[in-house]
Amino acid sequence: MPSLQSTLDDEGVADELAASQRSISIAEFFEKNKHMLGFDSGARGLVTAVKEAVDNALDAAEEAGHLPDIYIEIEEVGDYYRLVVEDNGPGITTEELPKVFGKLLYGSRFHKREQARGQQGIGISAAVLYSQLTSGKPAKITSRTQGGEAKYFELIIDTDSNEPEVSVDETTTWDRTHGTRIELEMEANMRARGQLRDYVKHTAVVNPHARIELREPNGEFKAERATDQLPAETEEIRPHPHGVELGTLLKMLEATDSYSVSGFLQGEFTRVGTKTATNVIAAFTDRHYGREMAWRTPATHEADIEAAVTEAVANKGQAATDEFAGRVADAIRDHDRLAHHELATLVEHAAVATTDETGTTFGDTVQEKAVAAAWTIVRDDRTADLYTLTDEATSTRKDDGVIESFAERLAAKFDGEGQVRDRLRRETLEEYVERAAAMTAEREDVSFGETARENVADALWSVARTVPDDPPNVAAVADDRDTASALLSAMSETDIIAPPTDCLSPITADLVRSGLEKEFDADFYASATRDAGVHGGDPFIVEAGIAYGGDLPAEGSVELLRFANRVPLVYQRGACATTDVLKGIGWRNYGLDQPGGSGMPNGPAVIMIHVASTNVPFTSESKDAIANIPAIEDEIELAVREAARELKSYLNKRRSMQQRQEKQDVLGSILPEMADKLATVTEREELKIDDSLARIMNNVLVERRIENSHVELVVENNSGTSASPELTEIVSAEPTSVSDGARVVEMDGEWFIKWSPEVGSDDDSVLQYELADESDYDLDVTGIESAKLTVNT
Amino acid sequence: MSTDRSDSDDSARERLIDLAADFYDQFAAGQIPEMELPTRTKSNIEYDENSDVWVYGDRTSTRSANSVRGARKLLKAIYTIDFLADQLGEDRSSTLRELYYLSESWDNEEAQFSDQDESNQLVEDLEIVSEVTREDFHMRPEESGATLMGPLYLREQTRRGEREIHCQKDVGEGGYQIPNNPDTIEFLDHDAEFILCVETGGMRDRLVENGFDDDYGTIVVHLKGQPARATRRITKRLHNELDLPVVVFTDGDPWSYRIYGSVAYGSIKSAHLSDYLATPEAKFVGIQPTDIVEYDLPTDPLADSDINALESELSDPRFQTDYWREQIELQLDIGKKAEQQALASRGLDFVTDTYLPERLTEMGVL
Repeated sequence: MPSLQSTLDDEGVADELAASQRSISIAEFFEKNKHMLGFDSGARGLVTAVKEAVDNALDAAEEAGHLPDIYIEIEEVGDYYRLVVEDNGPGITTEELPKVFGKLLYGSRFHKREQARGQQGIGISAAVLYSQLTSGKPAKITSRTQGGEAKYFELIIDTDSNEPEVSVDETTTWDRTHGTRIELEMEANMRARGQLRDYVKHTAVVNPHARIELREPNGEFKAERATDQLPAETEEIRPHPHGVELGTLLKMLEATDSYSVSGFLQGEFTRVGTKTATNVIAAFTDRHYGREMAWRTPATHEADIEAAVTEAVANKGQAATDEFAGRVADAIRDHDRLAHHELATLVEHAAVATTDETGTTFGDTVQEKAVAAAWTIVRDDRTADLYTLTDEATSTRKDDGVIESFAERLAAKFDGEGQVRDRLRRETLEEYVERAAAMTAEREDVSFGETARENVADALWSVARTVPDDPPNVAAVADDRDTASALLSAMSETDIIAPPTDCLSPITADLVRSGLEKEFDADFYASATRDAGVHGGDPFIVEAGIAYGGDLPAEGSVELLRFANRVPLVYQRGACATTDVLKGIGWRNYGLDQPGGSGMPNGPAVIMIHVASTNVPFTSESKDAIANIPAIEDEIELAVREAARELKSYLNKRRSMQQRQEKQDVLGSILPEMADKLATVTEREELKIDDSLARIMNNVLVERRIENSHVELVVENNSGTSASPELTEIVSAEPTSVSDGARVVEMDGEWFIKWSPEVGSDDDSVLQYELADESDYDLDVTGIESAKLTVNT
Repeated sequence: MSTDRSDSDDSARERLIDLAADFYDQFAAGQIPEMELPTRTKSNIEYDENSDVWVYGDRTSTRSANSVRGARKLLKAIYTIDFLADQLGEDRSSTLRELYYLSESWDNEEAQFSDQDESNQLVEDLEIVSEVTREDFHMRPEESGATLMGPLYLREQTRRGEREIHCQKDVGEGGYQIPNNPDTIEFLDHDAEFILCVETGGMRDRLVENGFDDDYGTIVVHLKGQPARATRRITKRLHNELDLPVVVFTDGDPWSYRIYGSVAYGSIKSAHLSDYLATPEAKFVGIQPTDIVEYDLPTDPLADSDINALESELSDPRFQTDYWREQIELQLDIGKKAEQQALASRGLDFVTDTYLPERLTEMGVL
């Protein structure tokens, strides 16, 4: 609190205030903002620490091409919890190790455009910091590189300087041949056990190539590998023009070796070739220089261009002047509209041609005069031209008089200072239209609305011509923020193909499925991987998977597993785009219960969503929820729907099989009763009704007919679709004359005859063979669901 | 048809068992048992020029064991066949309602009827496919048959032996009770000029009280609303065997026209029996819509359901004659209907002294 005295003395206050100003270290900042990084409570801190360590471990092992083998141990040690995470990664060199763990914002990935789990280089060092702040103990790290000796470090982070402070650095022995082990002690509790287990289990789902083991005070969890296939290696890509911000662009402009903007674009960005660069530059010049208005050329009777040009040319001789003027006039008439630079070019051509013809030279001065004279005539009737353009661009309800006065006012704007070439930027053009419209609206007391103004500006801008001037070079752009901003706008408005996707490593639909199969015991699994999309220049891929039935709990809402770059998202489910998308889908269509027709569906299902991107947009730094980006939400929805369609057809099929089963059950009891009763009423022998049953059930019916040595197997398809059963007849004597190209294999005195007939709907197929001796028969039919098959042999 | 009882019973039984044998054969051939029936709707009845009655057309529907529904129907049919065959074998009879309750005792729950409509319909189905009438199955309807009164002498085969009855002298005021199977009756003698079928009990009593049957030699048949089969059958027999003209006297509303229609042309439900039940020569006395106008009878306005019924009759193939189109259109036009009793507004004797003699003379019956 400054005293009265010092308030009078301004300089004193400033000095006093200045004395209390000082820089804060990143570590101090962390201390005050733990929640931003997911360390807001003891329970959560532990989960976050595990998460950061495991993410690092997976990334490390994969980068080195090893199948990850990760061991997590949590142990109660007095007042603290001890967390140990071991991996079989490549290990970290002695030089790097202290920085990796003991320095915030140190990492290899922040500047890369590549899909990776960690990105900012905050994660593991934040865990170290959290541990040292809560327990006061250093982080204990063991690391061994392939073929090297195991190193043991104890370190803390100096919170003032954000530098590692190593207290122990020695060689040790370790049973792993390579890898890293980190041991942290921290204030924590196991209240978030559920989340911890979920995290590990879900990590196992999306990393079917990893072996993960968790041991905690209350039990253990093991996830074995489902595949030996490492995720595809990702390629680092250059930035996409749609994905950079002005600051980044300026930095890139300063750093580049290119001289021209075109070279810069092609060299520094992905998906930019000559053609795209040309398009970007055209848009850039439009913004930077503006366009030149092109006016409708006058008809012959309206203006005597030849006369004007002739007048402008002096001392060139009658014949040559006539020739020149004629050429200029003809060339002008050949154009529908003409901009100033086009006129200059055509005058130059006329001059050269005339020189060739007559030998008279038409120098720059003469050309300039001729251009000036012709230009006056070309732009002379611009009011009429503007009238036509405006009339076409605005609604028919506008009065002719109004449009005429508007056109006059607009034409007047082109007479301002420095308006020789009628070159202007879009903003200027809009301003002209704006002012002319405002004036017209006021004077004529009519409305000239926003849309009409826009339409007129559009119409004018579209007839204006891009100027042929060279764009400013890289250095010039880099020096001027406005110019750079114009370049950025040009880049973002140009259509450019999506960035390549080899920088992404989706799990792939098959592995999503096997991941789910591995961790959830269900009846049905479906998965879908979408093609890559782009958001802000960063490519992304969405994958979805669904597991249904089996041991999954039938009560309550379905379980949603969320992943970003193969990392499970544990907290803030409600804030996540994936949750929003899921709630917005009409699940009843897909056979899941959804109370009220919206919100999370109910039923025995697990739905997983994975978003892979070079830059997954999160709602906050703790990376718990994916932000609501429309492009990503759309893809999430499509991926989920794709998998859900499979679920639907599975459920439908299951339902129809159930109905079929019910029908079969009911008929299976009714028809024999009927047959019995019929036999009683008619006083005849008992009936065999299998064949009738098969026909009734739309089944595939297989019957054997034997006549002496001739055996026939009749496959009758009573269903609505064609069937391709596989029939294997096992006989105890050698068969001959086997029909339909069947394969006959002898094994231990038994002959296996195998047919694979294709039997159309309501059709039958007769398979036959001869058998000389008495024989046993045994027929096995596969390839048709048993509920749909009746074998009557 | 009142031939030797056991002969007709045996043939009925045989036909039922033949039906079961058809199903048996279908099963034995590995086919899906099915039963084909004519579609029983208004659009599938057509005029048979040979017999002048309306019968089922060519459209058929199939009951097949292919579906759970169809299989249940067939199972019930077979159980019913079994029951009927036994009943015929033992010379017993039962009512339609008894059949429905009896099904409760069947061992298979799937064979039991869920309501009486179902069992009634099934019996009709069996009549159609076996070409045996319900009466020959010894199946009776619940309600007792209607009555007749007139100068007719007949012999009825009863459980207690043969009875000879004169339908005026041997009966009370209520008249002669028509048995469920009129084919057990033999006509011995008569003194009648024509047969008058009357819809309502009130009008029938009026005619009897006024001695109309005596005065005009009339056999008065009480239809009791929509006539039972037995009533229609005896009417047809009286007409055919005694060569007496038949006239029908009902209320003047669309539902009564249908009563006339079923006497004269056969009903939609039993079109398979039209040959056996319908009397195509029967004529309609009234109340006609023209009578309402002519005699200025007290009326009620047509209800919406009446109008719908009239319009539906305009599309009913049985009413496609100039006479009926004219009458129905007139009624729609005046928007009124009248009961038979409305004639009492002109005095209790008006119907017997004036209306009927006038109408019957007009129709050439008197």
